[in-house]
Amino acid sequence: MTNSLNIEQNLAILDRMLLIRRFEEMLIDLDQDHDFGHYHLYIGEEATGATVVESLIPTDLLLTTWRNHGHLLARGTNPGRMVAEILGRVDGYNKGRGGTLHLTDREAGFLSTSGLVGGAVGLAAGAGFALKQAGEGNICVVFFGDGSLEEGVVFEAMNLASLWSLPVLFMCENNNSGAISAQEGGFPSSEIAASQISDIPKSLNINSKLVDGADVAAVHTVVTEAVSNIRSGNGPVFVEAYSERWPGSRPLWPEQATGVTQVASAWDESLLTGEHKEWIIEFDPLIRFIRNQLAEGLFSKDELFDRDRKIQTQITEARAFGEASALPDPQSALDGVFAA
Amino acid sequence: MTAKLNRPQSIKLYKDMVTIRAFEEEVRKMFSAGLAPGLVHLYSGQEAVGVGTCATLDKDDYIASHHRGHGHCIAKGSDITRLFAEIIGRRPGYSLGRGGSMHIHDPETGNLGTNGIVGGSVPLATGAALSAKLRGTGQVAISFFGDGVLNQGILFESLNMAALWSLPVVFVCENNGYGEFTEIDDVTAGRPYTKRGAAFDIPADKYDGMDVLVVYDAVSKAVERARKGKGPSFLIFDTYRYSGHSVGDKQEYKDEKERQLWEARDPIQKMAKLMVKMKLATKNDLKKMDEEINSTVVAAAKVAKKMPVPGADDLARHVYAP
Amino acid sequence: MPPDSSANIQSDRNITLKAAVLEAMFEEMKCDENVVLIGEDVGAAGGVFKQTEGLFETFGADRVIDTPISESAIFGLSVGAAMAGSRPIVEVMFGDFLTLVMDQLVNQAAKVHYMSAGGFNVPLVLRTGIGIGGSLGPQHSQSLHSWLAHIPGLKVVMPSSAADAKGLFKAAVRDNNPVIFMEDRMTYNLKEHVPTGEKIIPLASAAVKRKGVEVTIFAISRAVHTALAAAEILLEEKNISTEVVDLRTLAPLDVETIVSSVRKTGRAIVLDGGYKSFGITGEIAATIGELVFDYLDAPVMRLAAPDIPVPYSPSLESLMVPSVDQVVAKVSTMFGDSV
Repeated sequence: MTNSLNIEQNLAILDRMLLIRRFEEMLIDLDQDHDFGHYHLYIGEEATGATVVESLIPTDLLLTTWRNHGHLLARGTNPGRMVAEILGRVDGYNKGRGGTLHLTDREAGFLSTSGLVGGAVGLAAGAGFALKQAGEGNICVVFFGDGSLEEGVVFEAMNLASLWSLPVLFMCENNNSGAISAQEGGFPSSEIAASQISDIPKSLNINSKLVDGADVAAVHTVVTEAVSNIRSGNGPVFVEAYSERWPGSRPLWPEQATGVTQVASAWDESLLTGEHKEWIIEFDPLIRFIRNQLAEGLFSKDELFDRDRKIQTQITEARAFGEASALPDPQSALDGVFAA
Repeated sequence: MTAKLNRPQSIKLYKDMVTIRAFEEEVRKMFSAGLAPGLVHLYSGQEAVGVGTCATLDKDDYIASHHRGHGHCIAKGSDITRLFAEIIGRRPGYSLGRGGSMHIHDPETGNLGTNGIVGGSVPLATGAALSAKLRGTGQVAISFFGDGVLNQGILFESLNMAALWSLPVVFVCENNGYGEFTEIDDVTAGRPYTKRGAAFDIPADKYDGMDVLVVYDAVSKAVERARKGKGPSFLIFDTYRYSGHSVGDKQEYKDEKERQLWEARDPIQKMAKLMVKMKLATKNDLKKMDEEINSTVVAAAKVAKKMPVPGADDLARHVYAP
Repeated sequence: MPPDSSANIQSDRNITLKAAVLEAMFEEMKCDENVVLIGEDVGAAGGVFKQTEGLFETFGADRVIDTPISESAIFGLSVGAAMAGSRPIVEVMFGDFLTLVMDQLVNQAAKVHYMSAGGFNVPLVLRTGIGIGGSLGPQHSQSLHSWLAHIPGLKVVMPSSAADAKGLFKAAVRDNNPVIFMEDRMTYNLKEHVPTGEKIIPLASAAVKRKGVEVTIFAISRAVHTALAAAEILLEEKNISTEVVDLRTLAPLDVETIVSSVRKTGRAIVLDGGYKSFGITGEIAATIGELVFDYLDAPVMRLAAPDIPVPYSPSLESLMVPSVDQVVAKVSTMFGDSV
């Protein structure tokens, strides 16, 4: 797909994707040291989150799922405070009470991260309702996985959004590895009888699009048009962004299945070894983007290394910040059960 | 079916519809007389759907019904005296008078119950179909539900599973145009509504629910398909309820003209005309049948009214199964 | 009262609670072909906690059924299947997701037998994991058993140990009612001797897990282990003889065992991993007050989770679970100690 993004935009997307990748890689290591409980990584889906935010304005609202780190980082949330939250520390965005499953940053426009399948989608219809009432042209984006389409509440929420023309972008990130996962004994994430996921929103008269979620340019084109439609009051849009599930997300617990990313593997496949090297060559959105942009001359290899190094330093600092943060004071446990 | 319609079949369909109409008229009187203590929802106007559907079934096939369920119980073969008894809270009723109109279960006729929850019938019928499939019995299950259920998440979840597992279930939506006092078209996105089933690759179509033969044909095909192991169907029947949501609803939200248009399509009158035209019965035969049914129904109501109320020792029975 | 499950110890039969329930499922599915397992990831994947491992391979896809993520319909269709002659075991991955099942559970399953005047049964087991631990946060850590025990028609079973879990699970599968079987995930890997063969533990039977004469700790599920540890310390440090009663089933409740223990000891404290307000601890305290008030030498005490959403951070999360120290301190006050 032709890239309609300008140089600044492409570089911003590159930085976001690198930031997300390095953050998630760091978490696997962090978990070895801290054993912070169950968590989910966004590796393999970076192109979607990093690009969707490009079409949004600061006053738009967002909701997401447990696979949320990428969405938050793409929207500019501080990685140090995210690490603190994931470690349950006092400097975390939720003062350590939410952890990875409930990490939310109100300043960045996030209403909620839901730990329940489809949990955020009902809330998104409500946010859309409030935004429509306010009439200031803001929209709401809700990210959710393909499995959410199995939950009745998602159907009920989409029905209302369609009926009342609510300004909601239903951003379905389909990372279901389907047949591949089943053969390898992984977890089936989706059991839907529809031939196309989009048949379901279409049955509710919702404008529905399908896009390669690992293709930055394609995501940008589809989402920009969708957002512009929604903003002009034409009701919700459903976008299914599909991606090939990162092998490290196939087991129940994330695994560093493809090794620490080497940006140079975009042009030097000899750097790649291991059973999942095909995934990197064919499906890794970061490597694909780098490969395309090098060909387009967006940046040089040296510039790329430089950006990656800076981001790695940022992540190291973020980790240090999170680890240095204190655990919450037990006395604070009772604070905030009810609003004042 | 019209072409092949024979006399016994046509008489059975006609009589069942007339019985339901007469039954509901008695229920209305009971309610007005203060005998039916709770809420009652009448099926008058929708008889063709219940009768046409149940006529395709065997006795051990399942139905799961809804709050407007008297017609389904009668069409599936429940005893009208015991139905009256339940509705007016008498001990010989199907639930010892403890359930009322919205909680009538009849295991003898495969009736998984009328239901007080919008959408309640949908997973129950789907589950009965799953059980029938697992046990290899060849039974099918019908889920009757109203248009309001088109907006319930559990319908969508159940359609998905029924399709995934090719379950022998037929989803029968009775679209009478109103969910309580609200026009269904005002609160429902997506047209036509059959797309809700079609989205899961389930054969889905819309039919005239005021013509018992149309209903019979459509459901027959779906039941046959289900029995052959080919999976669920999603059928929407356009119909009309003559009375309010429940007895006592003055229906101020309905247009008089609309009512006249639907009444002109009355399923019983339609069937009567056809039978006369096809020489399956004379006007006089039909009149006689009407009178007989009326007196049977009135007599049953009379018997029910004399039945005892449940005793205090019935209160705590059946909380747990033995 | 059933015999103490620690009898007849053979080390080779020491298995975890998780394995014991799995064994019960194997046995019940083998002896009754109408028993089917339905749930998310229970099939080829073997369960997210490996709690259904091997069932799919043994019984096949017709009886070990992977479902979409549709809790409400999964449970609703299990009710329909149960009415039609199957005996489903339905798994709801986290007890928190019972909220998604509530309509089908409370408005349908619990009422079918009564409303059909005994015409239909709903023989099914809803199995779910509950409890606090492992930083799962507020949507994956709740123990909502008191909600369910409030509903007539539902049975609520909460084992504390492997042998009990197996015997109770088998009883639950054979019961003709909707039974909610709740396991605290923190007890999944606790091992003990589990006898082989048919050992059914009747529902509605509490067990005296430790005999004592001066105070009774009533507990359920994981809290039983806290109670037992506290009882040991109370004896060693304060010379207080503590009886520990494991309720095992909340609904129906074994009132007889509760009152007979209080008649003997004269003091009672109730321990629970669920919330304190309007929960099972209050129910048992009230039952004791109504039936054996005259036997009491001290007010009935309660220890339960504080009324707070379960926080993620380990430093806060641990405060949500009544500790051995808290139990020891609370019991000590019942004997006149100031804390």
